[in-house]
Formats: sequence, C-alpha cells, structure tokens
Amino acid sequence: MGAKDRFVPPFGGGTCVRANGPRATSPVSEDDHHLIPFLQTAAAIYLAAGVGALLGVALPAPRIVRGAVWGLAAGAVIHGLAFSTLHRMDPVPPLTSLPMAISFTAWFAVISLLLFMWRARLGGLAAVVGPVAFLAVFLASLGSQSAPADTLVAEGSVPHAHVLLSSAGLGLLGVSGLAGIFYLFEHRRLKQKRGVARGFGLPSLEALDRVNVAALAVGFPLLTLGLLTGSAWLHAVEESFWSGSGHASWMLVAWGIYAGLASARFVGRQGSHQAAASAVAGFAFLLFAVVGVEVLS
Amino acid sequence: MKILLMGTSHHSAPVEVRERFAVADEQAALRKLIDHDEIEEAVLISTCNRVEVVVTTRQPDAARHTLERFFRHELAGEAPLPVKAHLDDVFFVYRDQEATSHVFRVASSMDSMVVGEPQILGQMKDAYGIAMEIGSCGPILSRLFQRAFATAKRVKNETRIAHRPVSVARVAVDLARQIFEDLADKSALMIGAGEMIELALFALQREGLGTGRIANRTRAHAEALAARFGATPHGLDELDDLLQESDIVLACIGGDGPILSANQLRAALRKRRNRPIFLIDIGVPRNIDPAAEALDNAYLYDIDDLQAVVSANEEERRRESLHGERIVLEEQERFAGWMVALQAVPTIRHLRARAESVRQGELERMISRLDLDEEQRQAVEALTRALVNKILHPPLARLGAQTDREEGLAILEEARALFGLDDPEAPGAEIDEALFAEWSDGGAGDDEE
Repeated sequence: MGAKDRFVPPFGGGTCVRANGPRATSPVSEDDHHLIPFLQTAAAIYLAAGVGALLGVALPAPRIVRGAVWGLAAGAVIHGLAFSTLHRMDPVPPLTSLPMAISFTAWFAVISLLLFMWRARLGGLAAVVGPVAFLAVFLASLGSQSAPADTLVAEGSVPHAHVLLSSAGLGLLGVSGLAGIFYLFEHRRLKQKRGVARGFGLPSLEALDRVNVAALAVGFPLLTLGLLTGSAWLHAVEESFWSGSGHASWMLVAWGIYAGLASARFVGRQGSHQAAASAVAGFAFLLFAVVGVEVLS
Repeated sequence: MKILLMGTSHHSAPVEVRERFAVADEQAALRKLIDHDEIEEAVLISTCNRVEVVVTTRQPDAARHTLERFFRHELAGEAPLPVKAHLDDVFFVYRDQEATSHVFRVASSMDSMVVGEPQILGQMKDAYGIAMEIGSCGPILSRLFQRAFATAKRVKNETRIAHRPVSVARVAVDLARQIFEDLADKSALMIGAGEMIELALFALQREGLGTGRIANRTRAHAEALAARFGATPHGLDELDDLLQESDIVLACIGGDGPILSANQLRAALRKRRNRPIFLIDIGVPRNIDPAAEALDNAYLYDIDDLQAVVSANEEERRRESLHGERIVLEEQERFAGWMVALQAVPTIRHLRARAESVRQGELERMISRLDLDEEQRQAVEALTRALVNKILHPPLARLGAQTDREEGLAILEEARALFGLDDPEAPGAEIDEALFAEWSDGGAGDDEE
C-alpha cells in the first residue's frame, strides 16, 4: 500500500485503497449542521421512550408501555427525517462513516421492532431498544455524519447497497439477539417461578420466539448480501474479492456462525430456548466482528 | 335526615345464618319497609354473601327497631336461628358517615369475600334499579348509590384491586398467556373430568383457546364434559399421541402415582420439535412426574406453585385496597358535604321567610303613613325586595356552597343563632319541597358524572 491511506468499509468488505488523497480534515462538515438537530431530537425521544417503557414494565402499567411505543415511533420518524435530509444532498452520501452506519442500523432495528410490535404484545422490548437506540444515535451525532472522501473511490450504487444491506442485516440480527435476551430472562423467571404473579408486562415467550425466527430469517440473507456487495466494492477498487484483513476474516467467521444457527433453526430441531441462547451469542460475536475488531485495530 | 344501614354479611355470619335472611322477592320486602312512617327511603341489597338494608329516616331509633323487626320476622321467619347465632352478633348497624362509607366500600368490592371481584357492583345496580322501580329510593339514597357507583369506578380505574387473578384456574390461564402469545391456535389437553378441569377449561375457552381435548379413565365422563365444551373425548391410553399435539396440559385426576412420566414428556417434546409445552398439575397426589421440571422447553406448575401465585395476588389486592380506602374517604367527605348542603335548605328557607316577613311589615307600616300612588308603591316594593335580596345573597350563597361537613355544620349553627332561627315554629322552618328537589337534583356541590 505504501504511503497510501487505507480504510475499511464499515461492514467488512475488506481493505480499500484511498485513491484521492487525504481525508477531509474537519470532523463536522457543513452537512452535519443539517443532520445533528434531527439526530439529537431523535436520541432524546428514544431515551424518553425507553425510560417510559421501563417504568411501564416495572409497575406494570400497559398504558405507559403503549405510550412508550408511540414515543419510539415518533423517534423513528424524526430519525428518518435525518436520513431524508441526507438523501436530498447532491451527490447522495452512502453512509460509509461508521457513526452514520450505526445510526442507520439503530433506525432499521427500531423500525423492524415497531413492525413486530404491531402484530404482538412486545411493548416491553422498548425498555431496552429505546436506550440502545439513544446511545447509537447520540454517539453518531457526536461524530461526523458526512461520507469520507474515500467513498469517491467506488462510484455507483455499490457502496450504498453495501452499507444499507449490512446495516439492515445487523439491525435485524440485533433485534433477534435482543428478543433472545428477553426470552432467556422470561424462561428463567417462569422456570424458577419467581415473580410470575406480577407478570411484569413482558412479552410472551412465543412472541419473543417469533421475533427471533423472523429477524433471523430476514436478517441473515441481508447480512449475506451486505457482505457480497462489500466484496464487490473491494473488487471495484482493488480487483480482488478478498482483502485478507482481520476484519474481513472475523466477519466471515460471524457469517459462518449465523449460517449454522439458521440451519439449526430452520432445518434441524433446535428448540426456542436454545435458539434464544444462540441468537444472543451470535449477535455478540457479530458485534465484535463489526465494531470490536475495528476499535481494537 | 339520617342514613341508617343494617345488615349481615360473610364478615358477621356463617352461611347457615345468612341463608335464613335471603330475600326471594325484593320488591315485596321493600314495599313492606316503606309502609312504615319512620322509613323515608329504602334500598335492599341481597346477595349470597350479604343482606343489607339502607334507609333514610328522621327518627333513627324508631327506624332501627323497625329494621330489627324486619330482619327478625319478615326475613328470618318464625323458625329458630341456628345455635350460637344471636341477632345482636350477626347484624351490624351503621349510621350516617359510617353507613355511607360502608355502601361505598361494598360497591367498590373492598368488603367482598374475594376483594376486587366485580359481581357485587352489578348486584348493587340491580338492587338500586328495583328500589327506583317501586319508588322506595328517593333523592338521598339515589344520590348515595350514584356516588357509590362512581366510587367503585374510581377504585377500579385508579388502583390495581382487580388486576391479578385469585383463582387457581384463572392463574393457570394467566401463566399460559405469559408463555403463549395467542391461545386461538393452541391446543389444551385436560386429563381428568372433575370440577377443576371444568373450571380451567371454561377459563381457557374464555381466553379464546383453539382446541380442547379431554382424556379420562372413564371415557363416558370425558364424553359428557367434552360435549358441553365442544372438546374431543379420549381415553388415557391415547396420552402419548395427544401430548405431542398439545401446547397446554392440565392434569387433575385421581391415582396412586404420576400419569405422565418425564420420559413420556421428553419424547413428546422431541416430536413437537421442542416447541414449548405448559404443564399444570393440580392433582394430589401429583399426576405429572416432578422430574419433568428439568426438561428444557417444558414449564411445569403444581398446585403449590399455583397457590403461591394466588396468595401473592390476594396480597396485592389487599395492598391495593388500602389505596381504595383513600378514595372511599374522599368520596365519603364529598357526600357528607352534599348532605350538609341539603341540611341548609330549611335554614335558608327560614331566613328568607324571616326577611320577607320583616320587609312586608315595614313596607306596610311605611305605606300607611305616605300618600303614594300605585306606580310609586310598586317602586318602593321593588326597592325593598332588591335590598333584602342583596343583603341575603352572600350568607345564603355561603350556606349553600359549603361542602365540608364539620365547617358546614358550624356555619349552619352560627347562622341560626345570628338570625334567631332556632324556633321550629317560625315561618319557613318546614322543608320547602320545591327547594328540596332543586338541591337534591344536584344544586349543591354537584359532581355527578
């Protein structure tokens, strides 16, 4: 690579060569000024919704939980406005900055969860999703939202497709992991017969398992497509589909783990409890491969 | 006017005593009561747990004797009461605020055998309806019962008194809802055909259970129960096949040992592709091998587990009833304020009559001295009337608007002393029926919903 700068597509397409000189120096670009108010407002609403849902679950008070779900939806709308602002820019940046990709992941996870909530009593999940979305969006609002100059390397829709597909996959698998955590908690509570009288207003085991299955069924193919487009992006820059970097290797292992989980769930006889534990472990590994390896390197 | 309540309930008398006072024809009983001069209004509440009469009266002592005779002779009849059941012990008598508070507590289900059970409110509404129908319920009891219903609504909405179930069958259904999202696509296997099975199946079907299966040693019993609930009957020899298709298994059948072994359940879970199964064992001795508790994706609850949940829920209801007591107290004070305002009616009437009498006297004396034509006479008449009205308006408004009982009574006493209204023979001392009706319809401190 010589003196050339290196950067990594956020979801493991490999290591690319930056061809057009040094990165933009200012951490906050002109574009960021349009986005940050939306992101900070969305973050505040997500946090309020999370606290409300937590209160509603602890009391338990279904009305407060329902209010928190509406709050989550309001946060998602404002969060979506941030992306629509981004979309009106010319050229449209492909969200290749890690903060913005994580922000998109959180948005997609919230939207997915709201869709699941429409069909089942899952309001209690807002108690965790709200604060997690808040953290993701708040941290994103602190970093630069603009696409780094690197994105000019690969023109066309490949960078967009890579980030959108990978973020969506990560978001859904995150929802699957979250449902798994709740499932394990509920399973333990029901097995040990502790606090069953109060109920805590948490989702039923069946609802959590359905979320787990649906999120895995959609999230895994999206992640696969995200990795393939990342590879295509790398090929457009380096004429190679495989970079051999640690990040790419970890992502490949994560993908393999999810392939195993999906086959155990859809082909084998894996029960709901084991599937929930697998979803939690799988997502922890994926998170490490996406963020942990990046941070450590 | 005084409110008097007399009755017996599960708190004061066992069922063999209560059943003696059960009322077959409420309308006839009420008609007999209001035939007595000392009883102005009456409402009779008769349920399996209580028989109570609420009346309004101007002669509380006489009314109490009438009520005692009513219970002793009209309701209990001539046959002797069971041993140990002395009337003084089995009856309670409440007056005024105590009576109001009791009616509010009963309507809110805080005095019920199962705290928070909703049936009592419907029974009180029926009792009130009967009293209204035969005209034994006047403005005061009408107001009292309307406020009681509003209090019950507040207690239900503002506390969690009826939130958690307190029967084993309902608790089982509640737990099933924590495992399964929707019971409509679920199948329940009931092992046994006794009363508990019947109650549980009823509760599950009320929650929308999809399919019910009943397995019993005596197939005829299973068939009889299955026919009533639209379920399918089976013999115990079919259990292995039934288990793999059942999401909920409820067992309550006689026998020396477990009907279902852990191995049977393990095999069933494998055939079910490890989909969760909810096992409820309310048999004694237990019908399901306790080792099944260790199976993954199987959730086993025995009668002790369910009873522990019932106890916890009962405890929560008791805790919540303390919040309910606060609401009852608030509502009782509001009602007492309304009663004080009602008591102000004769004083107001009296004061008006006194002022009018003074005005008329002074006017006639003045007119006889002055040579006034008709127009001038009318002008002076209007002037004096306006003066009296303006002077009386603040004290009358204050008397009418008073809702705090203690303060209200003190103000009433002061008003009578200040204006010299303590003479019962004075003009206006009798209640003006039109004014009474106006106040009773909610003129004072009205807060009807």
